[in-house]
Amino acid sequence: MRVFGYARRRMFFLPLGLLSVIVLAFLLVNALPGNPAGVIAGPAASPAELAGIERRLGLDKPLWERFTDYVGALVRGDFGSSYYTDRPILSEILRFAPATLELVVLSLTIAAVLGVGLGVLGAYYKGRSADRTSRLVVTTFQSIPDFFLALLLIYLCFYLAGWAPAPVGRLGLMDEPPPTVTGALLIDALISGDMRTFRSAVAHSLLPVLTLGIYYSAYFARSTYASLVPALESKQVEFARACGLSERTVLAYAFRQARTPILTYGGILLAALLGGAAIIETIFSWGGFGEWAIDSILQLDIPAVQGFILAAGVGTLLVFTALDILVAVLDPRVRYD
Amino acid sequence: MTETLADPAKVAVVSPRKRRRARRLPLWVPAGVVVAMVTAAYTAPLPHDPRVPGAAPLAPPDGEHWMGTDKFGLDVFSRLVASAGVDIPLALSGMLISLVIGVLLGLVALHRGPWGERVVRALDVFQAFPLLILAIALVALMGNNIENVVAAIAIINIPRFVRLVRSEGLTIRESRYIEAAHAIGASGPRVMFRHVLPNMTGIILAQASLAVAHSIVVIASLSFLGIGINAADASWGAMIQTGAQNMTTGQWWVSVFPGLAIFLTVLCFNAISDALQDSFGRARQR
Repeated sequence: MRVFGYARRRMFFLPLGLLSVIVLAFLLVNALPGNPAGVIAGPAASPAELAGIERRLGLDKPLWERFTDYVGALVRGDFGSSYYTDRPILSEILRFAPATLELVVLSLTIAAVLGVGLGVLGAYYKGRSADRTSRLVVTTFQSIPDFFLALLLIYLCFYLAGWAPAPVGRLGLMDEPPPTVTGALLIDALISGDMRTFRSAVAHSLLPVLTLGIYYSAYFARSTYASLVPALESKQVEFARACGLSERTVLAYAFRQARTPILTYGGILLAALLGGAAIIETIFSWGGFGEWAIDSILQLDIPAVQGFILAAGVGTLLVFTALDILVAVLDPRVRYD
Repeated sequence: MTETLADPAKVAVVSPRKRRRARRLPLWVPAGVVVAMVTAAYTAPLPHDPRVPGAAPLAPPDGEHWMGTDKFGLDVFSRLVASAGVDIPLALSGMLISLVIGVLLGLVALHRGPWGERVVRALDVFQAFPLLILAIALVALMGNNIENVVAAIAIINIPRFVRLVRSEGLTIRESRYIEAAHAIGASGPRVMFRHVLPNMTGIILAQASLAVAHSIVVIASLSFLGIGINAADASWGAMIQTGAQNMTTGQWWVSVFPGLAIFLTVLCFNAISDALQDSFGRARQR
């Protein structure tokens, strides 16, 4: 039951982390050198226009007052509204998040399966040709920029082979989107029982999921390899072999020691990908959270950028907390202080 | 697979280090490739002007245009070579700044007392953000120019050095020679800079090389999105962006060659890091 105590203490830190995220979101926009109002207005703006923009963004007030206003609004659930479209930021975030979550969860699943497979292969056959091959593959995956990999896959699978549909979004241009329930297209299509849309959604998610899956599998492979090699050389594995257990069982025992670092990596990547899939989303016109963030940043839509930073920060915070607790549950060696 | 007793030679516990070391590239190979790329960018006579369109757009690679031309009629090869002189120095300078700041902060974080812990906690929050997005936001908000790209690269790389210096330093601090240095009355800063820091040079340099590899990708991502580097100046990310649409219509050469250039550069810096780690690791063991 020590785990519960640990979980409670870990949750206790959440408000503190939340406050830091809010402060960072605030400072990034308000305390950076350079005046965002000036950048929005452009070099040709008159002082009056500049003052107007500053007033609209609340930049004319002193820093401290701006901060209390910001926190006050957040407490009321008001994340502000977009500078350009006037849509409330919170509903924008909720509208774009499901698409990204769908992409990230699918990609991480592929990445974990592929990466753990490569890592186990390399670690088990350490020093032999399978290890060298696995290492070569992992190094290659790790050194290709993800957006370049996406374009390569588009060229190979769409243009040359014709296996995948054009990178036009989550569905084809002619497809009817299913009624929104969760916002995740695959699930919504299943709920409405529309198999044609479901197949189309699967086909359209193929390349982006594959891109991210391949790219991030390198991380899983490296952490699996790094933790499985010492595990396979440990005393208990030697003992298990001496007992005459089958190699499969021995590997399963060794893998138990390796699962915590792998899980940790999964959590870190999950958090990183909440916004980190942005370029891939842009290339495939995915219409997700990251793409929205990049568009907002490029337009200097200050309230939207702030909302994004806050949402990404909170998401990360929650993932990391859940991860710490999960690791404590799985690994009795973790110290609880 | 039902081996009852494992063949000890197969389990290979004896000298995995030796085997691995033998397979690695020696340092001068990847380092030479990088130096050659940068030197070529500044000194080599280019077959065409990388900024002046002078050929048919989207011509496939041939004897005249070795890597074809892009949609503006610019020579891909010339731009590719010229880009090495932009991307690599940017990544290196960003890394250097973060190295200096990060190592100093790391030494502060080593300090006993509340400040060390505070620095690490602050970094945790900072690292909770997707680094690429953070870089994009920094450059967009501070103003779209090359200096701010370097600043953003520096900022997002600082935490890795702080963490490294702190975690290495915590181990080194417990060693006998540090105790001895304190015993003969060496001052705190002297111990730090003369005894602790020199003993982690290798691992810091290895990390620095990884940081450059990462920065190359971040810079390419930024310029792919049209942030930071002026589109007229050649840069690998911008070149890939120029050809991105052509990938769906079959003109692969516009994007593929700069993509391979990034790939090669990242591979080189990763290999440099591995080689550094190996050689310093060996020195420490001896």
